[in-house]
Order: sequence, then C-alpha cells, then structure tokens
Amino acid sequence: MREKTHIVILIVLVVAFALVIFLSPIFWMVLTSFKEKGEYFTYPPVFISRTFDLNHFARGLEIGGRKGITDSFIIASLATLLSMTVGALAAYSLARFRIGGKNLAFWILSIRMMPPIASVLPLFLFYRFLHLLDTYTALIITYSIINIPFAVWMLKGFFEDLPAELEEAAMVDGCGRFGAFYRIALPLIAPGLVATALFCFIFSWNEFFFALILSRSRITPVTVVISGMIGGHEILWAEISAVATMASLPVILIAIILQRYLVRGLTLGAVKG
Amino acid sequence: MGKIQKIQLNFNLEKHMALIFILPCVIILISISVFPFIYSLFLSLNSWQLATGGAKKFIWLANYGRLFTEPRFWNSMWNMGKELIFGVTSQFVIGLLLALALNRIFRTRSLITTLFLLPMMIPPVVVGCNWRQIYHFSYGPLNYILRLFHISNEGLNWLGSVKLSMPSIIISDTWEWTPFMMIVLLAGIQSIPVDLYEVARVDGASRWQMFLHITLPLLKPTIIVVVLIRVMDAFKLFDLVVLLTQGGPAGSSETIAYYNYLVGFKYFDVGYAAALAYIQLIIIIIIANIFLKFMPGEERKK
Repeated sequence: MREKTHIVILIVLVVAFALVIFLSPIFWMVLTSFKEKGEYFTYPPVFISRTFDLNHFARGLEIGGRKGITDSFIIASLATLLSMTVGALAAYSLARFRIGGKNLAFWILSIRMMPPIASVLPLFLFYRFLHLLDTYTALIITYSIINIPFAVWMLKGFFEDLPAELEEAAMVDGCGRFGAFYRIALPLIAPGLVATALFCFIFSWNEFFFALILSRSRITPVTVVISGMIGGHEILWAEISAVATMASLPVILIAIILQRYLVRGLTLGAVKG
Repeated sequence: MGKIQKIQLNFNLEKHMALIFILPCVIILISISVFPFIYSLFLSLNSWQLATGGAKKFIWLANYGRLFTEPRFWNSMWNMGKELIFGVTSQFVIGLLLALALNRIFRTRSLITTLFLLPMMIPPVVVGCNWRQIYHFSYGPLNYILRLFHISNEGLNWLGSVKLSMPSIIISDTWEWTPFMMIVLLAGIQSIPVDLYEVARVDGASRWQMFLHITLPLLKPTIIVVVLIRVMDAFKLFDLVVLLTQGGPAGSSETIAYYNYLVGFKYFDVGYAAALAYIQLIIIIIIANIFLKFMPGEERKK
C-alpha cells in the first residue's frame, strides 16, 4: 500500500518522538555517570557534565560494582549452562518421542507461570535448612528452575521445526540415538540454542527478587548491589549510574544479537514472530 | 555373537531414551519446585513466627480468614489493581498504536524496533534507578520540564506524596513494558497476510474498517497472550516499588508482591506469607483460565 507523503512524515515524527521518550531515561543515566556531585545535585539540572569524569566507573567498581558484576556473571553463566543441558534433553524428548503428550509439556510450562513469591518462601526455608543461603549454589539452582521450563519450551519449538529424517538417516548409518541428538540435531538448531541460552542469561542477570532474598553479604549480584547503593543514606548517583550502565551494557548487546528471536523468546514461543 | 545382542541393546536403549532424556528435568522440577510448593500450602495452614523462633502451630484456615479482614491486604491488592487497570491498559493502547505506526513505515523489524526494546531489556533495577533520578523533587529533569513550561511551578512530588506515588510507579512500569506490547503486537500484525488487505481495498473498505474487521480479529490470539502475560506480571510488581518508594508514603504504593515480601522476609510471619502467596496463585489461575476461554479454538491447544 502506497502511503501519502504527509502521512508518512507524521508517522515518522510520532515514532521519533516515542523513541526519544523511551530512550531518554537511559541517556540520562549514562550522562549522570559522568557528572560531579555538584552537577547532579543542582537546579536547573546539568545535562552534559563539564568535567566528564570517567573515574566514577572505577569508583563504582570499587564500592561493590566489581563484586556484583562478577557474581552475576558466575551465577548467570552457570544457571544458563545447567538449564540448557537439562532443557535440551527434555525438549528433544518432548519433540521427538512426544513423551507425556501435551500434558507434560504444559505442566513444565505452568511451573514458569507460578508467581515467584509463592516459590521463594519454601525455597528460602529449604536453603536455610541446608545452610545454602548466601551461596552461589542457591541462586544457580533457583535460576535454573526458572529457566528450565523456558528452555524446554523454546527448544521444543526449534526441534519440532527440524525434520526428523536427518536424524533417522544418521541412525541408519550406525549413529545411536544420543549420537543423532548430539551430532545432528543440536548443531542444526545452533542458532536457536544460542538464542535460548542468551535469554536464560538475561533472565538470570536481570533478576532481583530472588537475588535480594537469597543473598546477604558473601554473594551480591549486581542488581542487589545497585538497589543497596540507592538504599544507602548518601546516594552517590554518579557511581550508581556508572554501575547501572555497566550492568546494562551486556544486556543491550545481547538484545541486538537476539533481534530475530526476541518475540519468540519473550512470549515463550506463543507468538513466533 | 555380540552383534544381535548389541542390536537388542540398542532397541531397548531407544525405548528408554525418551525417559532418560526427560528424567533430569522432571526430577529437578518436582524436587525443587513442586514439592516445596506443596510444602508451602501446608505452611499456609500454620502459624509460624520465624523471627521469634516460635514453633509451627496448625491453625487450619485462620491465615486465610485473617487476610480477608486485613485492610493492608486489600490496600495492596487495590494498588496492584491500579497497575492492572491503568498500567496494562495504557501499555496495550500505546503499544498497539506504536506497532501500527511502525508497521506502516517498516516492512521488516529493524534496529529501530530493537532500540525501542531497551527499556525492557535492561535490568528492572536499573529502570528503577533511572526513574528515581528523573522523579527527584528538586533536581530531577521531569520537574525541571514541568517548571520550564509552567505546567506546575513548584513541581510535583512524584514519589513523596500519597496521591502520586502509585501513578509514578505505573508510569515507570508503562515506560518499561510498552515496548514489549509493541514488539509482540507488531509481530502479530506482520504475520497477517497482505492479500487480505488488498482484497478489502478492492472492495472499497476504509482503513478503519480494515483495522476493525481484519487486523483486530486476526490479532486476537496475540492480544490475549500479551495482555495475559502482563496481567500475571502485575502480581509481580516488586522491583520498581523497592527502588522508588518502598511502598510509601503511608502504604500508598504498597503492591501485593511487596507486602507479601515484607510479611515473609521482614516480619518473618511465614504461615501468613504462604497464605498470601496462595491467594494470589488462585486468582492468577482463575484469570488465566478466563483469558484462555477467549482464545479461538485452534490456538487454545498451545
């Protein structure tokens, strides 16, 4: 359908305006991270810092940022690895053998729908009993049970899109079922595998609720670090913004990589996009 | 001799493979998700003050009775309801309008759409951190703009007033999640076959008629999915509350998720917290079933 020029211009203006609204708070954060103390506590607000002090990034890392980012990275990576391994096996079983029919698959999905507040209480007591509070293990296990249903549901879709003939041919040639899965099916869904893993990583990286409850002082994921800094009695906005910027960077990069799979991932495969 | 045995073994393995593959997943989910969940139901029937080291006492449904008569519970449900009514609705309306606009100028999804997604991709804690600065009464850029254009000469006390605290959280939440609505609805719109519109145009249908009779009905399953996801998320509205207001002032922005957190992990009233969580779960299941009833038969199986 051809559009009239003035309509196109109007739409472009509206979209541009919306884009400004949706991006300016993020810009504000990045700008704040360069500001001196006098510049973020002043009226009228200073938009661009005169000093452009990059030291806030170093100081932000020093006062908890480095530990936070490291902890988040360890937890998110291991939780992703665990949920992808378990998830890929289960997804393959559901897609190829149709084990448990629709019910099993749906049951797995429904676990993800549970409100976190309902599962955090028994998990907290469980970890307390095992003396696992404030450890990597507790958060890795927790994020895995959030991510496994997601990984299963996503990967099931990717396996189903894959014709079974290839694996059957490989098995005729003497490849076992596990070989067919490991050597044929997995490499063929590699893009889907990467997309799912990146999603699991983002979910774990961004998570705050479980992190807040299951961590104390030994383990401090970056989300907990940021919220702790804001709760403090003197708020160092430049340092906080610097840490927040650094915590957002990996996610922004991943979002750009994920472009093609975003819709599928964000709706658990309900909308294929 | 080994060959026949080997084939036999392979055959058996094949049969059990399906089970072996799914077992780790099922075992993990049952042991650390389903089992604790049932335990939580049991907890909700007990009185257990963990802070004072008191013992569990079985009190039947008293926790549930207590929450129905407690004003603070209803207040937090109502605050969550505000997010449901105003937040999710505005996210849907703005998201749909943006999706329609983007659909007109971009045939494929591009970097522009990914830029729109940044608010929802960055950690929610960072979103809270951003808006905390923006809403700042004396130094925040939002009040600066209000003063600049003489909309409000004193500026609004976004986070510190009973009237505005919840709306402020809803505005931030809308900023964060409108892009989600937008991208999913855009994907839904773009999956509608173009020839349908061509035919309608030949028949002389107006844009509005096409929207009403082609776009909306075909978008219905997508709409149900996104709105349902956001409705369920409303029950989880926690991060922004912690970062922006801590439920204050005077409980005016205390959502059910935040209240539940306080009961469980600040007051350590474990049994009551479990009951609060279960009530939410029941409401969520009811809502989800109502939504799925509206799903066209073909899609419902998903």
